Order: sequence, then structure tokens, then C-alpha cells
Amino acid sequence: MPTMDADLLALLTTLKVAGLTTLILLIIGTPLAWFLAKMNSRFKVIIEAIVALPLILPPTVLGFYLLLAFSPQYLPGQLWQQATGQQLAFSFSAIIIGSVLYSLPFVVQPLQKAFEQLGDNLLEAGAVLGAGPIDGFFHIVLPLTKASFITAASLGFAHTVGEFGVVLMIGGNIPGETRVLSIALFDHVEAFNYTKAHLLAGGLLIGSMILLALIYLINYTPKQVRR
Amino acid sequence: MSTLTLNLICKLDNFTLKINQSLDLNGITGIYGHSGCGKSTLLRIIAGLNNHAVGQLSFNSVTLQNSTLPNNTVPNNTFPHNKSHHDNNLKNKAIFIPPQKRNFSLVFQDNRLFPHLNVRENLIFAAKRCNNSQLKLDDVIKLTRLSPLANKPVTTLSGGEQQRVALARAILAEPKLLLLDEPLSALDQKSKTNILQLLKQIQKQLNIPMLYVSHSLDELQQIADNLMVLSQGEVINFGAIHQVIHQLNYQSASQTNNQADNQANYQQTSLSLPIKMDKEHALNNHGLATLCMDDGQEIYLPSQIMPSQIIPSQLLPSKSLHETINNKADNKVENEAENTKLTLRCFILASDISLCKTASNNSSIVNHLVGVISKIRITDHNVLVTINCAEQEFFASISSFSLDRLALKPEQTIYMQFKASAVRTFIY
Repeated sequence: MPTMDADLLALLTTLKVAGLTTLILLIIGTPLAWFLAKMNSRFKVIIEAIVALPLILPPTVLGFYLLLAFSPQYLPGQLWQQATGQQLAFSFSAIIIGSVLYSLPFVVQPLQKAFEQLGDNLLEAGAVLGAGPIDGFFHIVLPLTKASFITAASLGFAHTVGEFGVVLMIGGNIPGETRVLSIALFDHVEAFNYTKAHLLAGGLLIGSMILLALIYLINYTPKQVRR
Repeated sequence: MSTLTLNLICKLDNFTLKINQSLDLNGITGIYGHSGCGKSTLLRIIAGLNNHAVGQLSFNSVTLQNSTLPNNTVPNNTFPHNKSHHDNNLKNKAIFIPPQKRNFSLVFQDNRLFPHLNVRENLIFAAKRCNNSQLKLDDVIKLTRLSPLANKPVTTLSGGEQQRVALARAILAEPKLLLLDEPLSALDQKSKTNILQLLKQIQKQLNIPMLYVSHSLDELQQIADNLMVLSQGEVINFGAIHQVIHQLNYQSASQTNNQADNQANYQQTSLSLPIKMDKEHALNNHGLATLCMDDGQEIYLPSQIMPSQIIPSQLLPSKSLHETINNKADNKVENEAENTKLTLRCFILASDISLCKTASNNSSIVNHLVGVISKIRITDHNVLVTINCAEQEFFASISSFSLDRLALKPEQTIYMQFKASAVRTFIY
């Protein structure tokens, strides 16, 4: 039974990492996407490229640089150590930061696209009726881009669940802290423990399938028949 | 009476919008100009949706925008674009009341209803954000005839219905000034007529000053009390509607090479005359109604263009709305007086009026008016004759051939003839 507990622990860690990452991504990704959608400057493409980088970069590359940055020899790691008294590399916080960076485009891009598509017209209409920017965001933008928020959150969550390289590089393999499902699976395969590997791999496959189907179901609107 | 004071410069693509004008907003003020003359931009500046403009804007001596002009004497073409842009952003911080705090409603050309809300919810959106609301939602729904549509999604409505919702929504914000940006341009003729009638009614009942932007002189002629004419970003005319339209007659005559002008402004006589009620019934047998000039001369016109048939009685205000309004409006007496004395706005094209040196009574033409020639303007082979008749200017365009043959001169007494069907309104 203790091995079963280890896998369950890995599942819990994974859900914790993915859930927290998604929450952070929505909080920082929404203003970033809004800013990019409204930005009218050449620097926009640079920021967009940086945001999109994790889409094409091998996760190990990102992981490698983050590992260096998080180590106590470099400034970010040093500052973290001074502030919290703990090492940043190989910690739960490290994989959260890594996951946020790694899944950023999956949240920012759908939101940016939705904001761009919505345009300023309805916000202007709201403004002349007395709705300021915050009011307008919550009562005009949010309801009209709800589907994109669901997509962004689900993609961010699913992508975080599926990450491997970044976590391996910066998180190590500490049970209950940084040992997530994909790493547990890797361990089972290395140990030729295919039964357990099947359980995890199959579980991830079906779970992801269900999650994606749910997203598409929520976003599905029957085609309106013109009368 | 509300006053809007503008002293603004806004650089546009092809020219600079330069307005230095104080507008006494009484009733409906039309802003007329051809497409791309800057009239919509002006409206957006007033609403607070344009932050590129520099200058002063105030409403009833409350400053809405105050950013110093970079240099009043800078000519249009050397206006430093990038620099001014930068300056604007810095200087606008001086005073710039954001649109949501101005309490001006704006009805857009493309209605801009909130698609996630139904008709009633769209209206509630506005009513909820109105600070000390006096109007009741249901009264406005009744006034704008939206009751059967109240629970429908806005996306299923027709263009005319959507624009009525937009209008109702704008009213429910209870604005100090209602801005209308070509609200009829996307509508068919019948919906246009409906909305125009509705606007007039709203104006009369709620007494909200309105700024109405349009490139259609027809529309403005039916609805506006005052008219401001914009050309290339500058005010070229401002005054009472009929006067300004008559001034445009000369302007279009002197600009015959300008095709756009020629197409849009027909030379015309624009009138606002009381309808003679007592005689109406007698003549109705022939389908004609009568308008009365100041000196007792009469103008006959087809009775089907009379407003009585366009405003059915059920559109008249519900009692509670009327009470609210009368509390607000200080001209209750005037309203009542206006109800008993209906006036009709109409126009007669200069090309539809013929001139005659003697009175003729053996013609099928029913309208014969006598007046005095005050002005003769010759452009190429077209002659625009201005005739003064009972303190009212009439315009007739004749050929230079006729001018020579009749030997017309200013101060001469002349008979004008035009058919009843030459008297037109925008309302069909």
C-alpha cells in the first residue's frame, strides 16, 4: 500500500500545483492580456514573443535557466533565500513559478484574442451610460468573454498537469512537494513497473480527455438557424 | 437653457478640426456636414471618448476638458503631429472628465446594445447607473413602444427596433445632454420616420437638449431647431434651422463645381407653418390640407403628409410619465399651447416653384403666393431668385432665359406658383 500512497500523493501535488498555477495565471494573465490587446506600440510584438516563448522552447531550456536563477548563487535565488530563509530551487514555490511561466501563453493568448475581438465599442457605450472601466470590465467584458476565460483556465490547468521538463529541472523529485504525476510515471517506467505506469498514464490520458471535452462542451453553441 | 462652450483643436487625417463656438442648446441642435467633415469626431470629443483633442470644453460653465492649446496660430498643414500628440497626453491631465462622469448619453450609429443582455436588461444597465433617477423604466418602455420586445434578446431585433432600444437606454441614463451620432443612417425609411417622431416626442416631453449629427439635411430639417454646419472641420454656419438652410442655398449655388455639395443640398425653401385646423375638414374631401402664412395667404398640400396621421393617439404620453416630466419641465404652458396649434415643417424645392408676373387663376396649380423679389443670383445659366413673402423667404430657381424674358428685377412684385404635391416633408 505505501506505493499506492506515493502515487496518490503525486496526484494531490499535481492538482495543487495546477490549481494554484491557474489561479495565479488568471490574476496576472488577465491584465497582461488586456494590456496587450489595447497596446498600440512596436514593443507589443516583443512582449507577445516573450509570452509565446514557452510554446516553442523545449521545457528543459526554460528549466535550465530557471534552475540557475533559483540557485543561491544568483540574485533571484539569493533574494528569495533572504526573504524566506529557504532555498528556492527544488521547492514547491519553484515549480509554481516555473509552471506559471511555462503555461503563460495558454492563458494570455485566448484572453488577448477575446479582448481584441470585443473591441472598444461596447465599453464606450457603457462609459457614456456611466459605467467606468472597472464596472465595464465586470459587467460588459467578463460576461461577453466568459467562454474564453473558461478556455484559458482549462488550458492553463491541463498544460500544467502535463508538464515534465521544467518540473524535473527545477523541482527535483521530492514526494509531497515537487513529485508530480508525470515524474512519478517516469519513475515507474524507469523501474520497469509497467502496471503502475499504465495506471498513471491511462488515468492522465482519460482525465485530460474528459477535461478537454468539457471545455468544448461549455463553449459549444448550436448554430443559429436563420429564419 | 444649457450652454456648451467649445474651443478645441483636433488633428484628423486630412485636416484639423477647429471649433471655437458657444452653443445655446435649446431643443434639438443639428450638426450637419458631409461624411468625414469631423462631425462625429466632434460628438466623440463632447462625450469624452476622444482624448486627442486639445482645448477647452465646458457645459453650463462646468469644465469638462481643459488642456491648453499648443499654439493658436499654428497653421493646419504644419501642425506638428507627433509632438502635439505627445503634448496632448501630458496636458489632458490638466482637466479631463471621463465619459462616465459627464452624464451625456450618446446614441451610436451602430446601436451598440449589449448582446449578453435582453432588451429590459439593457435598459436596466443604464437606469442602475443613473444617480437620482426620476424616470420609471416601464414608462420609458411604453414611450418607446418596447413593451412587446422587453424580454427578447437584442440580437433578434430588427435595425429599427434595436435603435429604439438604444434610444430608450440613452434616455434612462437621464442625461443632461443627449448626443445622437447619425442614429438613423442604418435604417429603412419607415423606421427612420418612426424614430424621428419618437425623438421629437421625447424632446417635447423630457426637455433634454440634444445634439443630432447627420449628413442628411432632410432628417435635420424635420427635427432640429438650430443647425450648425461643419465643413473641413470648421463651423461655417450656425443659427436657426430654416435660416441656415436658406443660407446653404447660396453656398451650394456658389459651389456648383463641388459635386458632393450639389448632390446633398438641393436649393429649397424650408418652412415651419401652422396647420389651419378649421378649414382642414372641408378640404379633406379633396385630400388637401392648408397651412397658414403670417399675412393670411394659404399653402395647400396633400393631407397624407400631415403629422396627425403619423402620431397615433396611443403614442401620447402615459399619465405618470407626463407628471414626472411636468415637474421637470418649466415650460408646461408652452407644451399645452403647442398641442392646440400644430405646426408642420415642410420644404419646397426651388426647382418646383415657377414665377409669374401676373396672377393667374385658371391653372391646375393650387398654390399661388404673391411676394417681392429681394435677391437675384445668377450662376452659369441657373438663376436663384429670392422672394420675400409675409416675412418668409422663398427660393425659386429659373433659367437665365426666363429671367431675360420676364425681365425680373429686385423689388418687383411677383407671383409664385407651385403644385400641392411640391410641398414635401421628410415623413412619407
